Amino acid sequence: MATEQIAQAQQHIATHRALPLFVRPRIRDLGRALLYASPALVIFFMFTYFPFVRAIYLSLHITNPAGEARRFVGLQNYARILGLDPNSTVNFVPYIAESFKFAVLVVPAGIVIAIALAMLATVRVRGIEIFRTIFTSSIAISLASSGVIWALIYNPSTRATRWLVDLLGLQQPSLLANEATALIAVAVMSVWSGIGFNFIITLAGIQAIPQDLYESAAIDGANRWSAFRRITLPLLSPTLLFLLVINTIGSLQAFTQFHLLIPEKTPNVYVYATYREFWYNNRYGFASAMSLVLFVMLLILTIVQYRLANRRVHYQ
Amino acid sequence: MINFSTRRGWKSIPYFGLTYAMLIGVSLILMFPLFFALSLALQGPTAAPTLIPTNFETLDWGVFGAVFQQQPILSRWIVNSFVVASAVTVGVVLTSSLFAYALAYLNFPGQAFLLFVALGTLMVPFEATLISNYLFISEVGWKDSYQGLIVPFLASGFGVFLMRQYFLTLPKELYDAALVDGCGRLRYLWSILLPLSRPALATLAVYTFLGTWNQFYWPLLVTNDPEWRTTQVGITIFSNFEYAVFNTQMAATLIVMLPTLILLLLGQRQLVRGLTAGALKG
Repeated sequence: MATEQIAQAQQHIATHRALPLFVRPRIRDLGRALLYASPALVIFFMFTYFPFVRAIYLSLHITNPAGEARRFVGLQNYARILGLDPNSTVNFVPYIAESFKFAVLVVPAGIVIAIALAMLATVRVRGIEIFRTIFTSSIAISLASSGVIWALIYNPSTRATRWLVDLLGLQQPSLLANEATALIAVAVMSVWSGIGFNFIITLAGIQAIPQDLYESAAIDGANRWSAFRRITLPLLSPTLLFLLVINTIGSLQAFTQFHLLIPEKTPNVYVYATYREFWYNNRYGFASAMSLVLFVMLLILTIVQYRLANRRVHYQ
Repeated sequence: MINFSTRRGWKSIPYFGLTYAMLIGVSLILMFPLFFALSLALQGPTAAPTLIPTNFETLDWGVFGAVFQQQPILSRWIVNSFVVASAVTVGVVLTSSLFAYALAYLNFPGQAFLLFVALGTLMVPFEATLISNYLFISEVGWKDSYQGLIVPFLASGFGVFLMRQYFLTLPKELYDAALVDGCGRLRYLWSILLPLSRPALATLAVYTFLGTWNQFYWPLLVTNDPEWRTTQVGITIFSNFEYAVFNTQMAATLIVMLPTLILLLLGQRQLVRGLTAGALKG
C-alpha cells in the first residue's frame, strides 16, 4: 500500500516534469475538469442547449406531423402568434393577456397571504414549529394532487362549492364551467398550492431582520402595527419583490392546474394553448415558436429578478 | 417580537389563547383540501358524497387497501415514481458533485465559461425545450420507458451551483495536504469532500427527489401505456372511468402524497435550504 503510494507520487512528479512549467498544471487540469464535468455536460447539451437550438430552427419552419421541418417561413409563425400577419386572422395575444390576468389573480393574493402567515408564525409560543410545518406543507403536495382534489371541490356532485354557485347565481353548476369564475377558481387553487413556498421564503426574510431594530422601536414607543409598517415591510421589500417576480414567472408557466381543471373548449392561458398546438394539432414548428415567445417573456422577468437579487445583496 | 409583549403584557393567558385560536383556525383552513380528500375517500363508492361524513361509524378505512385491489396498477405507478425519482436524485447528486469539484478545485482555462454553461441551463425554461425533447425521445424510441423519464433530468444547473458554493466554503488546504499525501483526486472527492458536504448533498437530494416525484407535464407526454405512467399522471386518469370513483381516487391521491409529506417532515430544514437557494436561480 505505502510503496504503491510512493510509486504513484513518483510518477506524478515525473509526468509533471515532462511538461513545460507554465502550461503544466492548467492544461492537465483542463482535461481533468472536462472529464469530471462531462456527464453533466452531455445532459446539458443533449436536453437543454441542442433542443433549444432545434426549437429555434423548427420555429422558422412549417413542420410535418413527424416533426420534420418542411418549408422555411422565416418569422411568419412569430408574426401570427403576435397577430401581426396581415394575411392571417391568427392571434395568440389574447392568450398571453389571459396568462397575465391569471398572474394578477394569483401573485398579489399569494404574497399577502404569505406575509400574514409569516407574521403569525413569528409569535413565540410553544409548538410553533408544528404550525410552521403545517403552513409549509403545500410545498410537498404536487400540483397534480391538488389539481385532482380541487377538481372535486369544484365538482357539483360533491356539493362543496355549490352554495357559492347559488350565491353568485351562476348558470352552470360548477365554478369551472362558468366563464366569469373559471379563471378565478383556478387561481384560488394555485394560490393555495403556492402558500407553502411563499410562506417559507417570507418567514426566512422576516427572521433575517435584526431584532435590535424592534427593540429600539419598542423603546421609542412604537406599537406593533407601526413596527410592522416602518420596519418589517421596508426591510422585507427585497424578498417581496423577489417573490413577485418568481411567482409571476411560475404563474405564466402554469400548465398542470389548467390541464386538470379547465374543460377542453373554454378559452385558456398561453401555455395551455401552446400545448394544444403541439399535442393535438401536431404543429411542432408553430408550437416551438410559441414556446420561444414565452422564453423571451420569462427571460425579461428573469433579468429583472437578477437585478433585484443583486440589490438584495446590497441590503445585507 | 418579545420586546413588545413584555411592555404591553401580551404574554398574558388571553393573549396565548387568542394566538393559539388563530394558529389552529388558520391551520384548519389551510388543510381544508386535505380534510376534504380524506372525507371523500372514507365515504365509500358513493356518487353524492357529503362535505363532512354523515355517519362516523360507517367510515370506510379499508379504502386505502381496497384501492390497490381495484386499481392494481397503482402499485406499479408507485414503483415507477420511486425508480424515476431515486435514479434522478442519485444521478443529479453524482453529476453535480463531479462538475462542481472541477469548478471549485481545479484551475484551468475556461473555468468561467464552464460555470456559465451550467448556469445557462437555468435561463432556458422547460417549455422552450419541451417539444424538441419530446421529438428526440420519440425518435430514439424512449417513450414508455424509464430512460425517457430519467435521462433528461440526470444533470441540474442548480445542483452544480449549489455544490460549487458549498465546496468553496471548505478549506482548500485539506485538498492540497491530501494530494501531497498521495490521495487521488477522485478518492479525495469520494472519501473526504462528499462526507464533509453532507448538508449540501442532503439539500440537493431532498429538493431533487421532491421535484421529480411531483413532475407532471413531462411524464404526461412521454408515457402512454398505463404501465409506464407515474403516480402524478396516474391519479389524474382515475376520473376517466365510467362510474364515480371519488373515494378510490382520493385514497390514491392521499397515498401518493405520503412520500413527499414524510420527506417534508424529516427533511424540512434541507428542503427549505434548497428552496431558498433554488429560488435564487429563477
